[in-house]
Amino acid sequence: MEAIKPKNLEEVLEYKSKYKGDAKIIAGGTDLIIKIRKGEENPKALIDISSLNELKGIRETLEYIEIGPATTFTEICECILLNKNLKGLKDAARSVGSPQIRNRGTVGGNICNASPAADTVPPLLALDSILVIEGKGKKREIYLKDFFKDKGRGELEGDEILTKIKFKNPLKNQGLGFYKLGLRKALAISRLSFAVFLEIDEMNRIEIVRIASGAIGKFPMRELEVEEYLTGRIINENTIEEAETLLERVIFERLKGRQTAKFKSIAAKGVFKKALLNALYLCKGVNDFEKN
Amino acid sequence: MILKKIEVNINGRDYCLDVEENLRLIDLLRDKLKLTGTKEGCGEGECGACTVIMGGKIVNSCLVLAFQADKSRIITIEGIEEDDVIKNSFIEEGAVQCGFCTPGMVLAAKSLLDKNLNPTEEEIREAISGNLCRCTGYNKIVSAVKKAAKLKRGGDGE
Ligand SMILES: Cc1cc2nc3c(=O)[nH]c(=O)nc-3n(C[C@H](O)[C@H](O)[C@H](O)COP(=O)(O)OP(=O)(O)OC[C@H]3O[C@@H](n4cnc5c(N)ncnc54)[C@H](O)[C@@H]3O)c2cc1C
Ligand code: FES
Ligand code: FES
Repeated sequence: MEAIKPKNLEEVLEYKSKYKGDAKIIAGGTDLIIKIRKGEENPKALIDISSLNELKGIRETLEYIEIGPATTFTEICECILLNKNLKGLKDAARSVGSPQIRNRGTVGGNICNASPAADTVPPLLALDSILVIEGKGKKREIYLKDFFKDKGRGELEGDEILTKIKFKNPLKNQGLGFYKLGLRKALAISRLSFAVFLEIDEMNRIEIVRIASGAIGKFPMRELEVEEYLTGRIINENTIEEAETLLERVIFERLKGRQTAKFKSIAAKGVFKKALLNALYLCKGVNDFEKN
Repeated sequence: MILKKIEVNINGRDYCLDVEENLRLIDLLRDKLKLTGTKEGCGEGECGACTVIMGGKIVNSCLVLAFQADKSRIITIEGIEEDDVIKNSFIEEGAVQCGFCTPGMVLAAKSLLDKNLNPTEEEIREAISGNLCRCTGYNKIVSAVKKAAKLKRGGDGE
């Protein structure tokens, strides 16, 4: 195995175009090193991007917040550019593993590893994030929601890498909430999480809602049916309850035949509600609907 | 096996080393440099026994490849002074039993106290949450960190 530490992005893309799929990007290594040692991955070359400034850090442009893929979870937690309406993204980053894992693990690695339980993916899905993907002499953009192809597999060609994650900076009346079940290090089954992005008007009418679930299916995904139900409705206890019931049904159908279907669909209701209330709180600054 | 040249500063000393390309930082420390205070427990990022400070932050040295550490500054348990306040507090509070987790715990505590000399109990527990201990039940470790914080602030630790 050849170990490569390029000086800049151009060099990374050069090596990638030479080795294609035989070369793996290594960022924090918190997924990849374990896989290599287990023999699940056997790359001919490793290209280290963990200290490449070009691929690190969080910037604000006119319209977007842009995150470099080699940005660590700790850097996301500590970033002052991510304001309080984006609390859900920080909460998700903070919920990852341990301080040691958060100091090394990156958001790009979280996305590209494409695990069903990747914690920062639901919030980024709820933000309707766009991924910028580059290869030597080429560049394209794809919505995160269209990126995942299967468990552990994202839509990347052998010569391509993820170079940026971007989403629109939320407005005052918008908020991103996150909630994750159970303790960290708990069983994977209880790593279930939800992220909800919400915009409401003065009348409490839902203008925009995007819901994403984690650790339920093959990869984190949007819950479109529930989004559709909620859009345009006044948010109150009744609509929240209806949405929960719909979600439970949708998830039960999706997992039908699997042992976990019942547990997950019921647990999802509560986790979704917490994420929704967290989002609502960020939009309004008050919490009208939390009873229990 | 091809070798890769790296420069690292470990415990204040500069090294220029040739490393195997798949060598982990923990193997570099333990096998090549005989800095055996860093322990290997799980080898999978779960236990924190292999914790070192790299670029000012605690990391699991079992999950860093040596070549990735090129140009970085690393502190291992050997880099902590003999009469260090945290170390002494661990001993005095009975926070060391078998001692396997201790190097990692001390470095996790140092990394916390370097930023925050007034941590709450919750912050202490969070800071050592990536370090498992099979012996102490953690309470004595938390007391040791509290005591070290107080001593560092200039109190008497009681
Ligand atoms: C003890 C432990 C606890 C953990 N807890 C959690 C948890 O609570 N929540 C959670 O979500 N995850 C958790 N993880 C998993 C892991 O830390 C995360 O998935 C992390 O985000 C991986 O990032 P990395 O930089 O370490 O990825 P790496 O291991 O470096 O890479 C992962 C994969 O992504 C590819 N890749 C990385 N960056 C790019 C890029 N820019 N372009 C193209 N491909 C790329 C690599 O080639 C590799 O295939 C845990 C891991 C461990 C060991
Ligand atoms: S040996 Fe590295 S975390 Fe357990
Ligand atoms: S003292 Fe034995 S593992 Fe902590």
